[in-house]
Amino acid sequence: MTTDFMTVLWKEWKEILLQRSAGGSGARQPLVIVLIVGILLPLRMGPQRFFSPEPLLILTFLAAVATSAVVADAFAGERERHTLETLLASRLPDSSILLGKIAACTAYGWLITMACVVLGTVTVNIANWHGQILMFHDAPSWLGLILGPPVLGAAVASAGVFVSLHAATVRQAQQTLSLALVVLLFGAIFGFNALPVSWKAWFAQILFGWSLTELILAATGIVVLIDLALVLAAMARFQRAKLVLD
Amino acid sequence: MNSLAIRARGLTRHFAAVRALDDLSVEVPAGAVFGFLGPNGAGKTTTIRLLLGLIEPTSGSAEVLGFDTRTHGHEVRARSGALLEHSGLYERLSAENNLRFYGRIAQMHPLELDKRIEELLRHLHLWDRRKEAVVKWSRGMKQKLAIARPLLHRPGLVFLDEPTAGLDPVAAASLRDDLAALASQQGATIFLTTHNMAEAEKLCSLVAVIRQGKLLAVGSPKELRARGGGQRTEITGRGFSDAMAGTLRQNADVAQAQLENGKLLIIMKNGASVAPLINQIVREGGEVEEVRSGQGSLEEVFLTLMEEEQA
Repeated sequence: MTTDFMTVLWKEWKEILLQRSAGGSGARQPLVIVLIVGILLPLRMGPQRFFSPEPLLILTFLAAVATSAVVADAFAGERERHTLETLLASRLPDSSILLGKIAACTAYGWLITMACVVLGTVTVNIANWHGQILMFHDAPSWLGLILGPPVLGAAVASAGVFVSLHAATVRQAQQTLSLALVVLLFGAIFGFNALPVSWKAWFAQILFGWSLTELILAATGIVVLIDLALVLAAMARFQRAKLVLD
Repeated sequence: MNSLAIRARGLTRHFAAVRALDDLSVEVPAGAVFGFLGPNGAGKTTTIRLLLGLIEPTSGSAEVLGFDTRTHGHEVRARSGALLEHSGLYERLSAENNLRFYGRIAQMHPLELDKRIEELLRHLHLWDRRKEAVVKWSRGMKQKLAIARPLLHRPGLVFLDEPTAGLDPVAAASLRDDLAALASQQGATIFLTTHNMAEAEKLCSLVAVIRQGKLLAVGSPKELRARGGGQRTEITGRGFSDAMAGTLRQNADVAQAQLENGKLLIIMKNGASVAPLINQIVREGGEVEEVRSGQGSLEEVFLTLMEEEQA
């Protein structure tokens, strides 16, 4: 099982890197993301970047966006390019194919996020050098950076399985996923603003009652539960007999 | 060891109201090159999917390499290789990495895998371009690589679904030669579906003909030619017409009669004699100069079987 999982991960990772390093939009997209989130935003924010929760939220959301960019290709692309049936005709268990692909897409999102963290830190330090290295300084920030991107990325990758299996083309799957992420982001922002003041106060009371570490761990726990539910549901859907006839 | 690579009994598969495969019973000896012939939509791909355990039969059963496909599909897939309708190649990856991926899936030892990749790619004259992304290759080269893939781990059984479809005649002939050489070297059982009768005659020791999910005939190409095609007679002369061919077709012993380039081509059923027809042609005003009789080709047998089934 582990060997099969690693085999799929190896292949997916090679495909993602080749797709993203070749010319064209496949290569431009990650470069644009890294340029904006890794250089422009840190330049604009300056040292404040390391003392505010906003960059953490942006970087976590970035993992979701980067993951969504590759997950459609991993599933819908495999079907569109007629390689899925050959893969299903091999001895690989369904679960290894599924989990290997989810892991590769999640790892890609996490890698892009980490690249932006490193690049952002270098950018802020170069632009604001005072003889002392500036960086995220507290444990909750690092906890959020380490846990947030992979768990949110995994949720997007697992949800991407459903979208990809129902989409006719890779492009359609990518558009649906992008739209879903935009709806999720703005839904959360506007939804919270639209809540009655008494509800917001109640939320704030709960949130301020917890430490930042507790909040991050609780949020991570919730997303991990969502991950598990999505992965189990994806495993139920990702079965040879169904996929061959799709 | 089981001397049968495949044994299907009453294998049937429905898709809603469509009966894609209807009561297929067939046995393929180990080591045979088995040709599965049929027109589009005959049920060839469905049969391969059932034999690989990718889908379950509605009724009936199949044993492949001694394993029940319904309960032990994983074992069947682990011991077989398959080139399905599409090449299944990852075009962004190099030829070498395409084979490496499937070698890793087959759990081959890395050193053995390296050696086997070199052996196959050299045999197919692809070794020098092994590092190139497959997307840059011609269709013929891709198809060669696609054939190398299921042979990589030396499986006991290889499924090839129309391996030369879409190739130009030269590339198809070259691929057939490679396939014949690899098959004989490997000693594996090969289950080959094709539209190409010349391919089946060249490669197969056993052939089955299927139409609309029903098995019409099975046997060696020689047996089929003798049994299904009957005597093929070519009559040269003057005064032949389509109407005359139509009259000949009404004879119960005639499987096929047609006018082709001024000659009458007649295929008789079940070894019936063509002599009475010569008299009939002369009576109807035809002038017979030469009569040549011989065994019909597999293609003619196939067409005859299709026509009989339609009638």
